[in-house]
Amino acid sequence: MITLFLIAKTLHFSNFPNSIRKSTGQKLHPAPFPLDRHRRQQILSRKTISLKFLQESDQDHQALFILASIWIMELNSIKDAFDRVTKKQKISSSKSQETIQQITQEINDAISGIQSTDHKSILNELKAKLKEIAPLTQLESTQKELNIAFSKYTKLLEKQFNPDISKSYRNVDFDLHTVNQIIAGHLYREGLFEIGDCFINESNENDVIERKTHFLEMYKILESMKSRDLVPALNWAAANHENLQKNGSDIELKLHRLQFMEILQHGRRDEALKYARTHFSPFADHHLPEIQKLMACLLWAGKLESSPYSEFLSPTHWAKLGHELAQQFCNLIGESHQSPLSVTVAAGVQGLPTLLKLMNVMTGKKHEWQSMKQLPVPVDLDQEFQFHSIFVCPVSRDQAGEDNPPMLMSCGHVLCKQSITKLSKNNSTRPFKCPYCPTEVEVGQCRQLFF
Amino acid sequence: MEPNTNGNSTVSNATMSSATVASVPSLHGEVPSSKLNQLTESLKLEHQFLRVPFEHYKKTIRANHRVVEKEVSAVMSSLSDAVDLSQDDAVQRLNSLVSRLQGLKRKLEDGSKVEHLQAQRCRARLDHLESAGADNISEWNNTRLKRILVDYMLRMSYYNTATKLAETSNIQDLVDIEIFYEAKKVIDALRNKEVAPALAWCADNKSRLKKSKSKFEFQLRLQEFVELVRSENNVGAVMYARKHLAPWAATYMKELQKVFATLAFTSNTGCETYKVLFEPKQWDYLMEQFKQEFCRLYGMTLEPLLNIYLQAGLSALKTPFCYEENCTKEDPLSQESFRKLASPLPFSKQHHSKLVCFITKELMDTENPPLVLPNGYVYSFKALDEMANSNNGRITCPRTQEVFNYTEVRKAYIS
Repeated sequence: MITLFLIAKTLHFSNFPNSIRKSTGQKLHPAPFPLDRHRRQQILSRKTISLKFLQESDQDHQALFILASIWIMELNSIKDAFDRVTKKQKISSSKSQETIQQITQEINDAISGIQSTDHKSILNELKAKLKEIAPLTQLESTQKELNIAFSKYTKLLEKQFNPDISKSYRNVDFDLHTVNQIIAGHLYREGLFEIGDCFINESNENDVIERKTHFLEMYKILESMKSRDLVPALNWAAANHENLQKNGSDIELKLHRLQFMEILQHGRRDEALKYARTHFSPFADHHLPEIQKLMACLLWAGKLESSPYSEFLSPTHWAKLGHELAQQFCNLIGESHQSPLSVTVAAGVQGLPTLLKLMNVMTGKKHEWQSMKQLPVPVDLDQEFQFHSIFVCPVSRDQAGEDNPPMLMSCGHVLCKQSITKLSKNNSTRPFKCPYCPTEVEVGQCRQLFF
Repeated sequence: MEPNTNGNSTVSNATMSSATVASVPSLHGEVPSSKLNQLTESLKLEHQFLRVPFEHYKKTIRANHRVVEKEVSAVMSSLSDAVDLSQDDAVQRLNSLVSRLQGLKRKLEDGSKVEHLQAQRCRARLDHLESAGADNISEWNNTRLKRILVDYMLRMSYYNTATKLAETSNIQDLVDIEIFYEAKKVIDALRNKEVAPALAWCADNKSRLKKSKSKFEFQLRLQEFVELVRSENNVGAVMYARKHLAPWAATYMKELQKVFATLAFTSNTGCETYKVLFEPKQWDYLMEQFKQEFCRLYGMTLEPLLNIYLQAGLSALKTPFCYEENCTKEDPLSQESFRKLASPLPFSKQHHSKLVCFITKELMDTENPPLVLPNGYVYSFKALDEMANSNNGRITCPRTQEVFNYTEVRKAYIS
């Protein structure tokens, strides 16, 4: 805590960007224009960051601020470098203009001079003058400065970014046809039908038509919902009544509820009552309290906004239900809820930095990398990418599988079967001590687990 | 410790902080630092995103500058000749030089308009990177996927789709369509077995290609030579070789000799070594070669970004469980097409157990511990607790349909 306080103090009183660079062991980049806009912004943000920094007490936030500020500083230094490039480019460009103007001027002067005197001497004079101007050397010198700015910017990019993200790429046959199919499917499921068609046309793929019709139907329903027309959605729900119920979804009732409220909101109470009678009754068994509430709304017709049920009117219901419908729709047609391409690319974005770091330490073992059956290091992904239960035996560090299943010991700790066999010295009657607690365990009492 | 360094009141400091908070929203919000670290790490993968438009900008500036240099030096040498002319001729010469300079000036003005646009594009990308923050992350990720897709389409020469996707998503400044159109000309010509545009491109980028020791131009020349041999224009072939192939002799002697031997074998040879040189697939090879040179010149990865990210994602997601019959649909690897792409890739590795509840799909940890039913099936506390509460303490195993009492459940310790 004391160190953090000290860091905060230095941040506050000293040159913030530099000090943070020091603390991360990076080289200093003194800004050349002390009072330009960026610089002022930097100074401004340095104060607020350090203030915030002191206010935040939990460690997570402190780490966050350091990380965020380092990144912002880095981006700012890149922006500065780019500004320098454009500045030099402007100088160079106006220098060229100026030079051309100068030469033109001299020549024009000479033209008017020629009329009166001997042209040869005028021309020689012109030649001498231009030699003195030395336009080419002038152009060259500004260009040189521009080149320096170019290479500085390029180098900075190379340093702050990963200059080659294909380092961990395996040179395997990545089937073009398969990738194209995946992309076409993705475009359709995102509702980009026109682009999908264009893609199919250009890439000569054509077996994605079936998926397209499915998603066309889905987007039609969703579009109608956006204009507050529930009929297509209700038709779909009625047609898939059984399947929806099997999946335990009450989306049909939710759609009816929305329709009921819509009718009621327009003040047509009798119609609403009739609607409720025909459509709510099939759901009475499981959703009675909900239906009671809805019926109570009838009492408030015309002044629903001030009723205890005003919550039912919230427009968020529409968006939420649209989302849920998409989910159920995908479920019924056997598609995942999220585009598998988005999921894989997002996982790739998260995993790639680790793989690239791995390649840095594996230099010289490129060949091994190309044939490895399993990654040598774990790649940590967010929970949203965790689709399977993976049990790693804490003793052997092996991943459990069919031939080596996880076993629950009588004390509640879990090991892999092979580890248990080893610990018991392959003697099923001899008890052994659990590696994690003092309990004596017998092999016979261990049970296989299914995650 | 004083609240601020330059003696301002605390109030002004507070207003200042709120102003800056608004301008750097990515700094704040309820984000764990690991997430933020992930974000910065992922932004560092965007080298190509900044580099490509910059190379383009640089190229334009240099080309414009070369024009100026050339014209100015032409004007200068033309002036020095003028001394020997008669008076009328000299005046005429000077006038023509003035109009030439004016033309150059106009050209320069047009050129700087282009330069300005390209600089804006570079800056738009910097701004886009800066805009990534916790509050707009899903939208930003969406745009990234679109950028990656456009990159793929451009590399595969699906120009119409790429343009359409960029236009409808309004990301024209974030993708390199213009640059790839430059490549399109050359690729189309190579497809029609013409080398002239490719050679012109080589001449345009002579110094950079030389720096990277590219032999693309040499290969183009070889192909032209082979075409001459194919049409049995032997004299022409030898003349061509003298003019265009000889300069490469020092570096690529072996290949040169091999191609020269085709003069003796002719196009209907049965000898394998020389037969391949006449095959049409040589043109495909040149096309591939060009694409690589082109990408290298602009600082792009040689593989499409999509393939790189897909490979990384697939390796990270690939587990033996993905290939089991009951694999969840949500896992991309439950699909045949993704499995096919993943088949040559390594499996992921785990150092620690990660248990996902079958019912809630949530991670099981100390907060939400795994519970074991008497039949050995494991579910999360959250799922079983809810089930027990709404079913009078009875639990039905969703996979075996067996019914148990909540009291029969026991805790498992996973380390």
